[in-house]
This record gives sequence, structure tokens and C-alpha cells, in this order.
Amino acid sequence: MTTVLDVAVVGAGINGATAALFLARGGMRVALLDRGQICRQASGVNAGTLTMQMTRRALIPFALEAHAMWASAAEWLGHDVGVVVCDGLSLAFTDGEAQLLSERVAARREAGAPIDLVDGKRAQAIEPGVSDKVLLAGHCKVDGYANAYLTGLAFRRALEREGVAIMENRPVTGADRAQGAWALLTPEGTIRAKRVVLAGGVWLEDMASWFGCAIPIKVLINQLAVTERMPVAMRTVLGIASGLLSLKQYPHGTVVIGGGWQGLGDRVAGPRAVIPENLVGNVRLACHAVPALERSRIVRAWLGLEAETADALPAVGALPGVEDVAMVGSIHSGYTSGLSIARHFARWLLGAPLHPGIAAFDPARLVVRPGAR
Amino acid sequence: MTETIASRADVIVLGGGPAGMCAASAAARAGSDSLLIDENSQGGGQVYRAPPAAFAETSPGAFGPDHAIGASLRLALADSGARTAFGCRAWSVSRDVGGAGFRVDVCDDNGLKAWRAPALVVATGATERVLPFPGWTLPGVHGLAAATVMLKAQKLLPGERVAVAGCGPLLLAVAAGIAKAGGKVAGVIDLASVSDWLRVLPGALSRPDLLARGAAWVAGIAAAGTPYLRRHAVTAALGDDRVSAIALSPVAADGTVDRASQPLRIDCDALVIGHGLVPNCDVTRILGATHRYAPADGGWIAVRDGDMRTSIPGLYMAGDGGGISGAAAAALQGELAGLAAARDLGALAAQRHLDLAAPLRRRLGRAMRFGRAMAGLMVERPGLVASIPAETPVCRCEDVTRAEIDQAVAEGAREVNQVKAWTRCGMGPCQGRMCGDTVAAVVARLVGGRSAAGAFTARVPLRPVPTAQLIGSFDYADIPIPRPAPL
Amino acid sequence: MSRRIEKGVQRPPPVTILVDGRLVPAFPGESVATALLAAGYVAFRKSPRAGKPRGPFCMIGSCQECLIRVGEVPVPACQATVREGLEVTLGGTQ
Repeated sequence: MTTVLDVAVVGAGINGATAALFLARGGMRVALLDRGQICRQASGVNAGTLTMQMTRRALIPFALEAHAMWASAAEWLGHDVGVVVCDGLSLAFTDGEAQLLSERVAARREAGAPIDLVDGKRAQAIEPGVSDKVLLAGHCKVDGYANAYLTGLAFRRALEREGVAIMENRPVTGADRAQGAWALLTPEGTIRAKRVVLAGGVWLEDMASWFGCAIPIKVLINQLAVTERMPVAMRTVLGIASGLLSLKQYPHGTVVIGGGWQGLGDRVAGPRAVIPENLVGNVRLACHAVPALERSRIVRAWLGLEAETADALPAVGALPGVEDVAMVGSIHSGYTSGLSIARHFARWLLGAPLHPGIAAFDPARLVVRPGAR
Repeated sequence: MTETIASRADVIVLGGGPAGMCAASAAARAGSDSLLIDENSQGGGQVYRAPPAAFAETSPGAFGPDHAIGASLRLALADSGARTAFGCRAWSVSRDVGGAGFRVDVCDDNGLKAWRAPALVVATGATERVLPFPGWTLPGVHGLAAATVMLKAQKLLPGERVAVAGCGPLLLAVAAGIAKAGGKVAGVIDLASVSDWLRVLPGALSRPDLLARGAAWVAGIAAAGTPYLRRHAVTAALGDDRVSAIALSPVAADGTVDRASQPLRIDCDALVIGHGLVPNCDVTRILGATHRYAPADGGWIAVRDGDMRTSIPGLYMAGDGGGISGAAAAALQGELAGLAAARDLGALAAQRHLDLAAPLRRRLGRAMRFGRAMAGLMVERPGLVASIPAETPVCRCEDVTRAEIDQAVAEGAREVNQVKAWTRCGMGPCQGRMCGDTVAAVVARLVGGRSAAGAFTARVPLRPVPTAQLIGSFDYADIPIPRPAPL
Repeated sequence: MSRRIEKGVQRPPPVTILVDGRLVPAFPGESVATALLAAGYVAFRKSPRAGKPRGPFCMIGSCQECLIRVGEVPVPACQATVREGLEVTLGGTQ
């Protein structure tokens, strides 16, 4: 391929796809590469929760902005992703959890999240499906969920319309610098671009290594499960104080149970196995929160890989020591906040000053060994 | 509170059909502590499925020759010293964390339990392929395999006037079974022609006994004056709330429906139909064994050596789950798998293993020739896939039509898991276990073959698990909630 | 004509099960699907999306079309065994 693109984005999850979309809208010639298919990893198999109550304090402003983007996806993306905006409750069943919840709600409120503390009775009034064992709950009106499965379909349609070259099943194996541009090596030939954006989620560590840069990225293997369709059991998004439960019922009736209980897997092999005890624990917690779930059946459990940096904050910005390469990713609860962070990132690449909140996520802080290319 | 109790065995065998029963018996006789797990209350699988223990034969042999074979396998299993866990649903299989081998999680009426073993023999058999046609979701339409369960085990006729359709040996077995039980067969509708049957004759000659039985079935159908339509397919099941008639049309050799000719109609109150068998390799796929697409074997199969070892050490696949080859071959493959597991665990000396395996291999060769000949009648017919009308539901659970699948591919989906994500096809309670093969066949036509189209990712649970059973009784304080996520 | 095969089979004495509050005769050991089919039930539930009637299809616990509740527990009727007094609700989990 002799054409030199303006930008090659590697990794077609929501971060890469959003960046590619806004870069194309900014007038750049963009290719979006993925070793698999668009939004088929974390961005396509996560629980779809859009909540302030599991979002890290530092990400709250971006989560609020992204929540508005999700809710208006039909307008700016051109396609609905099954987003339902609804109340969210973060539950506390014990005094210890109530203490934790109070602290966390206070911290998130301070960061701008509109969360109130309500007692158990009020929680039951907001969500009749919730157990009467709730002592205290965080209540947020800016919560909700998307149908994560549809993410790839919606982005694919939007990207195609903007003329982004979507290159699926194109694993990149390395990069060379030649004639002032980057050449990304793939089994089906070389992709040349003036700039490269790395948006590879848990694979960011491997991607940085193509440029000699060492940034450790931890891999969380999150387990999820889903019930078969069942009568209405709940209408809100539910979590618990510790953050290790997420529950919502989709309009068609299935309930997705998540929260970050761990399964087995790694970056190389991908998801390997559900740990049965962790599934049982997660489902017990879900049934403790919403007793009606006991009347359903679990039809599937699966795993999604989530990236986490050393300080559990995102890696967004230039790759240290490497010209014309930047990264965006490892955003905790990234499905909630990613749209906004990736849009700010794209604006910066298009020449705008970097949003000060995002400047704090400079990958330089995470680098064990800078790149030398 | 209910706790997950772990127990150990040397060899766990999943599935109690001929392959599983023989694997468990052989491993036990060779000195390994083997455990057979099956959700049914007795061994037998589909082919030798026994009537309820409380049902008795009015005279010896009244339940038929298959019942006698099943009974002898059950007896051999009981004599072998193998342990059994019947009525026990395996819902999860995984590599054992921190130990060599495998873990099988089960639930039964007593709650949850986990079994661990260094060797796992998978003998999960086959599922039936039923290619969709308008009306195939109507009550009164069943699979051919379902009809065998009704006839052999439940002692129930599928209906009062039953149309029997599809292909392969089950077609004749079911038609003959209905007639023998005193039922009325409204018609036999066979995708195959006489020449298709003659083509497999040389292979079938390896088992003259079974061939003679098949010939008797055909003669019986003819003697009863039952209409036998060859090279025909059911193009619709008709009726409002249940099937009351079927429409038929001639088909080409590849199954393509001849829409030009006037459809025939047969009145019936039940249709039993099947288009062949598909190996059930959920377990070996979940465990990550290497598979390949082998249409002559029925579909995706685990790659195996002559001793039924898969690509994963300690994991064996025996019987139809490893490729459709019939009950006789399944039993022999099971025995070979059980012996190989015992040998690999050190319970059986290498020479002794060779001595025991050699005669089995010879018999397996013969059984395979017959089984493969029958499998030849049951391969997927591409024309029949192409003939699925646009508005026909392919995914029964979620009522996803052929047109919706085509639309997802037109939108850029390139393999079946994308199609699933975008349409909910395969996301219902059966988890694509009914539609998966058809969806892949439909997508394969559009994306350049089965390898490109892929297969629905296999996941646990192996069957839907009632939430109440999964959680048992528990105290909130005992839930091992992980440490809080970072703020 | 009864759909139950009489030829060659000796069944134990019948029992009754309760189907949506109605008494239905059945034989211990047979599946609830069999008892229902023999009693003339053909549709056990409606499909959730199109709302079409569905009945037993595979009879081996795969297809989930014959889903019923035994007591509170959702279970395919073909996998539930008849015993005296069993209480069954049709309609799956909907």
C-alpha cells in the first residue's frame, strides 16, 4: 500500500472507533485496524452499564459527558445502541457497606456526580424489585445502560459513512519508521500513516512494545452472566457499595449480572474459563439484591478482558519518546466514560489544546522504559 | 449453607450413551477409578435410552433389540466397578485451577458439587440437525431423535397420524417403530433417492445384521401401504396452533427445493423430521481443544488420535461427539478412550494396553465403515440450506428469521458471533444449540465457507441452570465478596 | 386412541399431577412432557418475541421449547419426571 494515511488507529473498541470517527469528521484520512472484529472484545461483551456509581472519582466529569453522548447516540453517532437512561442504586446491606457507601458517595458527589444517599425504604420505592434488606443506597438519576452487543453494528455504520477504512481481521505485528511516516506491518501488507493511535485495551502493553516502550497493563478477567427472558424484575441499574455487582434487566427481559468477579484468562490466550465459585458468588449477590432472580435460569456466563494501569487511571496521550504515536485506553469502567475521553483525545490530535483533566492521564507516568523510535 | 464439595476420580466420563458407558467400564476394569456422569436416570444415551425403571416388558424382548443391547451395556457398567452419577447435570467444565486435569461442576437435587480428575472422557454424542421450513415451530412438529425418545423410552406415539421426514437411518427406524407400536404413519418423506441408498450399500455390507434390519423396516413400510416419497422435502408444516398437514415438494440431489412443481399435501397431526446428526462438541470447545470442520463427519469435530486423545493431554472424545459414526463404533471408541486414559494415567502397562486395544481397533474399522455409510446419508445438503425462506425463523428461541441473518451479514457481520450479537440469534435459552449449525451454514454461503463463518462460542453453563439451584441456601455474610474496586 | 403405547409395556399404577390446577393422570417415571402430550396438551408456552405457541421439540433437554415450572423451578418438561402430586405450571418463565 503506497497511500500514506493521516492516522492509523489500532484497536477497534469504543476508544479506537470513537477516535477514528471524530478524526475522520475532522477531515483526516483514517484507517481503523483490528486483529479481530469491531467492538468484539470488552466494548462488545461488557455488561453495558452506564453508571456514575462504579466510575472512578477522577473520571466522573467524563462519565457525565459520555452518558449524555450515549443517550444521544442516535444524533451524533447516527445509531441507537439500545441505551436506556434510568435511575441507578448502589446498595449497602451491612453497616460496613453503609460506611463505605457514604464515603464513596461523598467523594463522587464532590467530583460532580448527582448522587444522593437514601434509606432502604426509599430505595424500595425507587426500585420495587430490590430486597428489603437494604440499609442504605446511593441514588443517581444519571445512570442507565446500553446494549453492548450492538456497539459494533452502530459504530460500523457510522464509520463507513465517514469514509473510515475499517480493516478487520488485520493483526499488526510491528511498526517501522520510513520517510517520515509509520509503516504498520500486517500479514496482508503494510499500512502507512503519518500518525498512529494505539487503542488496544488490554493489548496496549504489546502495542507500546512495537515502539520499544514499556508500559505495564494489568488484565482483569471479568465474569458476566445472563438469565433467560423473565417477567419484569427490576427497572433500574443496581450495584453494591463495593462496586462488585452490576445488574440490569433489558427491555426484552434478560437480566445481565456482572460486577467484576474474576475468571481465568490472560492477554495471550484471551478469556479461558469461568470460575464456578465466582459465578455462584456473583449470582448469590444478585439474588440477595433482587430476590425475583431466583425464579429464573442462568443461560450463559462469559468473560471480558478489562485493562488496568498501575494507578487504575487511563493512559491517554503521546507515547513517551516516540514521534507521532499516541494512545487512548485503560479507562476504568471505560464503557461509561470512553466516548467522551476518546472524543477529547481526537480533538487534541486535530490540533485543539488537550483538556486539562485528560492531561493528568499522560502515559508518561506509567512508563517503565520510554520508547526509542 | 450449600457448599461446593469437591470429589476426585481418576477418569471422569461425561455422557452415558454407548461411548460413555464403555469408556467408564473399560477404565474401571483397567484399574482406574472412573466416574460416569449423566443427566438421565439410567445409562443408554439416545440410542439405547431405557424406559423408566418402573415400566416392565410384558415378555422378554418386548422392548426390542436396542433395549437388549442397552441392558447388556448397563450390566457391564455395573459389573466394572465404575462409579456412576445419574440424574446429575454437569453445568460447567474447566481446566482445574492449580492442579493438573479437569473439573466438572454438577448440580442435582442435593445441590452443587465439583468433581476433579486428571482425565476426562467426553462422550456427549450428537444433536439433531433440523433445517428450518415454514411452520417448523408449530406444536406437533418434533425431531426424529425426539420421536425415538418417545417410542423407545417414553412409550408414546408422536401423534395419531404421523408424517416421518428427513434423511438417514433414523427416518426408517422411526417409521417402522411407529408402525410396530400400532401407530399410523401418514407418509415417509425421504430426501434421498434409491440411488443414494444404493451408493452407501457397500459400506453398509460391513454389518449385514444391521443392513437386514433396515431392509425389514423398508419392507414393513411398503407392506403397510404407507406412501414413501423419495427425493422430497417438507416445505411447510401447516396449521394454526398445531400441525394439521404438511406440504411437500421434490428436491434436487443437493436438497434444493423444486418450487416449480405443484406441492403435495399430507394430512397429519404430527410431523417428525430430522436432517442428520451434528457432533456435540461443546465440552471440548469450552476446554479449548483443536477442532476442524469435517462435513462428512457431521460438522465441527475435535481432532483426535487413534486412541481418542484430543489435542489437550488427558482429554478424550469418544462416540458421535467426535464425528458421526453410529452406536456400534461409539461403544468401541469409548472402550479405546477408557483404555487410553488408564494407560496414560499409568494404571495400564503399555504392552497390555496394546494387546487389549488391537482387537478393538479391528472391530472399530468394521463398525466405522457401516457408521460412516449411514453418516453419508445425513450430511448437510447445501441446497436445503439455500431453500430456507426469508421469513422462516431460524432461531426458535428468539424468533430470528433467515432474512434478519442475511441482513446482519449485509451490514458487515463476517462470522456467526457477530450475527448473534446484532440479531440475538442464538441468545435464547437453548444458546444456539438448536440453530447454531444452521446459522453457520447460512452465513457460510455469504462469507466464503464454514471456516470463515465460524461457530457460536461455546460457554458454560452446558444447560440453563435454575438460579435457585445454582445459589442454594446461603448467608449474605458468607458470600466471598472481593475487595472493593478502586475509587 | 391413546397415544401411549400399550403393546409390550407394563406400566405401574397411574398417579395424578396438577397442571395449572387441573388434575392430569400420569404414570410414575414417565416425563412430564409425555404426560402432557398424552393428555392432549400440545402447546406448553408461547415464544417470547413472536408470541407463537410452542411445544416439545427435541425431547432431550436441548431446545427448551417445553419449558414449564415444577413448583417454582423452571425446567424442560421432557426432563421432569412424573411423581404423585407434582405441581406443574405451563408458560415457561414468562
